[in-house]
Amino acid sequence: MSLLEVKNIYKSFGGVQAIIDFSLQANPGQIQGIIGPNGAGKTTIFNVISGIYTADKGSVFLDGKETTNLEQYKITREGIGRTFQNIRLFKGLNVLENVMCAFDPQSKYSIAGGLLPTPKRKFEEKRGREICRHFLEITGLSEYEKEQPSNLPYGLQRRLEIARALTCQPKVLLLDEPAAGLNPTEVSELTSLIRKLSKEIGFAILLIEHRLDLVMNISQIIHVQNFGKTIAVGAPDEVRNNKDVIEAYLGKDN
Amino acid sequence: MELYISIAIQILITVISVVGVFVLTGMTGMFSLGQAAFMAIGAYVSGILVVNLGFPFPAACALAVIFTVFIGFIVGFPTVRLRRDYISLVTLGFGEAINALLNRAAAITGGAAGFSGIPPKTTLTLTVISTIAAIAVVWKFKTSKYGRQCIAIKSDELAAKSMGINVARIKMIAFLLSVAVTAYAGCLYAFFTTYVDPSVFGWKKSADWVIMVFFGGVGSLTGAVFSAAFLTGLPEFLRFLAEYRSIFYAVVVLLVINFKPAGIFGEWELTMHNLQEFKIKAIKAIKTIKKLKNKN
Repeated sequence: MSLLEVKNIYKSFGGVQAIIDFSLQANPGQIQGIIGPNGAGKTTIFNVISGIYTADKGSVFLDGKETTNLEQYKITREGIGRTFQNIRLFKGLNVLENVMCAFDPQSKYSIAGGLLPTPKRKFEEKRGREICRHFLEITGLSEYEKEQPSNLPYGLQRRLEIARALTCQPKVLLLDEPAAGLNPTEVSELTSLIRKLSKEIGFAILLIEHRLDLVMNISQIIHVQNFGKTIAVGAPDEVRNNKDVIEAYLGKDN
Repeated sequence: MELYISIAIQILITVISVVGVFVLTGMTGMFSLGQAAFMAIGAYVSGILVVNLGFPFPAACALAVIFTVFIGFIVGFPTVRLRRDYISLVTLGFGEAINALLNRAAAITGGAAGFSGIPPKTTLTLTVISTIAAIAVVWKFKTSKYGRQCIAIKSDELAAKSMGINVARIKMIAFLLSVAVTAYAGCLYAFFTTYVDPSVFGWKKSADWVIMVFFGGVGSLTGAVFSAAFLTGLPEFLRFLAEYRSIFYAVVVLLVINFKPAGIFGEWELTMHNLQEFKIKAIKAIKTIKKLKNKN
């Protein structure tokens, strides 16, 4: 069984079929891209996997355990980390604290430690800071630790979202349009970061992206979605030459 | 002198209550319009334990706080799962229900006539120590993992869940801490005035406290403490304005909310680190001014 198995999921909102029979298997070290025009149901797929929506039909398994109808925070703790298309960092917390929030559910001190300076609290806070600083370093954010996220340039905010998702210690990482709004230099930095993560830490990475060059470049498998349906699955080269895909992206030749 | 001590105690008791409300409203983004009812429970229970059952004052306080937290848990259990705006409605209803109960259960509470004969145990020293302790505990809470998760929930509940944060649990913890602090303020209040009646614990009091948190700064404990002291003290020192002082009060609050929506302190906290930064900035500013003067 694969690390992440999504089996025949369906999701509709009122009369709109957002996902129709979507399936996917992901393994450690693998990068898969999900592409498609706006409104194709890409983000809905992520929202079902991460538990923000429950699927109408179908199931999701993570590491052999069914997570289909679990609460969202429990799914995260099972090992799914994600970023958001429209950046959702925490206001009122600095860069390090933002990342610490993702560590806090794993932190092991009790309410007593929450109210008083116990040794356990000191120890766990230090452990947390070390782990978080490690992920800030990987994403190249070490020097911005004390900044407010809203003061960072867009590209760094996107990286901070990734650092925060990494701190959840996930097995599967869902990246929702991580390159949106980035300039070409930032995109190439991001590409090498995603490659590094997949290689060194061995996540299974799912990537929603509009920039075809980026997706084609780093994904091993690509799913093409259109109006909720999967119209093609395969290696980048196969997908690139697929007739349906060309039609969906460029329109039909009359 | 007596008068000043009495004013100081009143101010400090309000500071403790507002520090409690800060945990709920300032940190977690939940609005309780029934918070004063928890103060009432703390005040009545501790009072009744001492006067009718002969408990010593400290034990009565401890029991009153524990009992109020228990009531808070019952109210909070269905409430913390609701959307933020519904929480205000539920707590408003709860607060008014407690008020009605205190009025009706005259055999135990004295009804609308109030409950009297409570011995005066709240001294200035006790109140000062309690205030410092309350601020210290809430500060420790704010800088702990719980505090960070509260702030994350206030900022973006969905993203918080995606980070593995158990939102209902964290909200409950914040709610209960806030209830405990407010209940303790209630104990101090009862043994200060030696007489409690239901009318002072209405929703207006709860709303006052929420205003104080906003006035001081939406995310600042420093601000909550400052504004509770300032806004409670202000009417006392404006006695010569007689009835006009509530107008003055309203104008001050309106001005701040209009021109500084994040409150006076915003998210700024009074810490050694921030003071140092402030000092560096001030020195820089003075230097630039001096340079400009020299040029002229």
